[in-house]
Amino acid sequence: MNNNSTWEFGTRQVVYGAIGAALYGALSWFTNFLAIPAAGNISFRPAVAVLIFFGVAYGPIVGLLAGFIGNTIGDQASGYGFYWNWSLGNGLMGMVPGLIMASITDFKAQSQIIKAVGWGVLGIIVGMLFASLTEMFTSGIDMATAITGYFVPTLISNTINVAILLPILMIAFAGMAARRGR
Amino acid sequence: MLVTWKYRPRDTFIQRLDPRTRFIVLLCTIFALTIPEIWDYRFMVPLFLFSLTQFLLARIEWKDIRRTLFFVFILVFFIIGLNGLLSGRGGPSAALDPNSPIIYQALIPGTDWGITITISKLWFAMTQVLRILAMALPAMALPYTLDPNIYGTAFKRMGASDKVAFTMDLALRFLPTFSHDLTITVDAQRARGYEVEKLKGGVVEKIRKLAPLIIPVTMQSTVTGEEVIDAMDLRAFNTAPRTWLKELHYAPRDYFMIGLGVAIFLACCVLKWGFGIGGFFVPDFFTKFILG
Repeated sequence: MNNNSTWEFGTRQVVYGAIGAALYGALSWFTNFLAIPAAGNISFRPAVAVLIFFGVAYGPIVGLLAGFIGNTIGDQASGYGFYWNWSLGNGLMGMVPGLIMASITDFKAQSQIIKAVGWGVLGIIVGMLFASLTEMFTSGIDMATAITGYFVPTLISNTINVAILLPILMIAFAGMAARRGR
Repeated sequence: MLVTWKYRPRDTFIQRLDPRTRFIVLLCTIFALTIPEIWDYRFMVPLFLFSLTQFLLARIEWKDIRRTLFFVFILVFFIIGLNGLLSGRGGPSAALDPNSPIIYQALIPGTDWGITITISKLWFAMTQVLRILAMALPAMALPYTLDPNIYGTAFKRMGASDKVAFTMDLALRFLPTFSHDLTITVDAQRARGYEVEKLKGGVVEKIRKLAPLIIPVTMQSTVTGEEVIDAMDLRAFNTAPRTWLKELHYAPRDYFMIGLGVAIFLACCVLKWGFGIGGFFVPDFFTKFILG
């Protein structure tokens, strides 16, 4: 299903990076009302599964662009402003699962879905750890608050979202791709 | 349901500014608050007024922006404000000062767990709301006052590569389309008895129930993508450096605004790092006011 090299940056990556960003931004805005109680300014984002799906399906460049631009758009539409570290963290969250794009050949095979979810969780760990730890410099919080107030809530909520929605997205994508023949 | 922002040409000072100027001033405001970690209300209030002035100068009609403002204020006041008030998190550790006088406390009997609202947490929540609004107000006005056709050119002229500039350009163009698709999907699911406002059950159940909204919109977008790729390939995108139709030129007002933005940023950095002014503290007048 994937014929491109992992780090190719051509028309396909530009278009799907833009689509991923717009979807991530729109869906994040739509679900921003689902806040995580008592966690530092973090909302519950089922759209994370869409971001990781774009990384897995279209590669790390698409994941990076979709996460960075999508988070910026979502935060702006929600009125949060612009937080470069969270945007970059979201970019990393989309980029890391994109590293396995070339090895995902069958989107409805159980083993490949499990692999995608595993790399998705790794992406969440890398991206959210980066964003949480850089909050120490931007907000002046201590390490304990960064970990317990930001990293752990986002890790748990994003992992749940990805574990539930990513398999559904992959199976739906496999069916649609089979119908379209591309 | 979703805000599909509408750009409209208006003859205002803000719209006459070069788009690069607006991005640079916005970044200066954000960086002035975040890089030197400014939490002092004496900085925050003038910066908030600076942002509010820009927002008002944009003269966005109330009927256009009222829904956005409604949702944004709910998010800022209830999510960010309440989070700051109850947890004190999302800011400097001084907001969690254990010696700050307690205004309200409700603990689970026999434990230290519960709600404790202190004066420093209350002041922090108010500061946090002001800080977020100072950064958000100019950003909120952008979609209403910046021609979507100019985003790509602006990013390109600010140093982004053709492909990155075009990705940003496309993303901002796709956003209203996908928002519209999401609204149509929600309406279609409602017609089948789906009630998005009444998502019951636990967290897992709520996420599962969002699938009928997220999956169709995502799948439709991938189909749209293939069509856009074909159209761009037919126009030989990515075969040579692009030329951009729109030209951007700075005017004296742009130099003035950029100078002002840079001066604000530098002043915040110098005062914080050079003189140690700008950190979080609770002013005496606020403590006296609360304690009577």
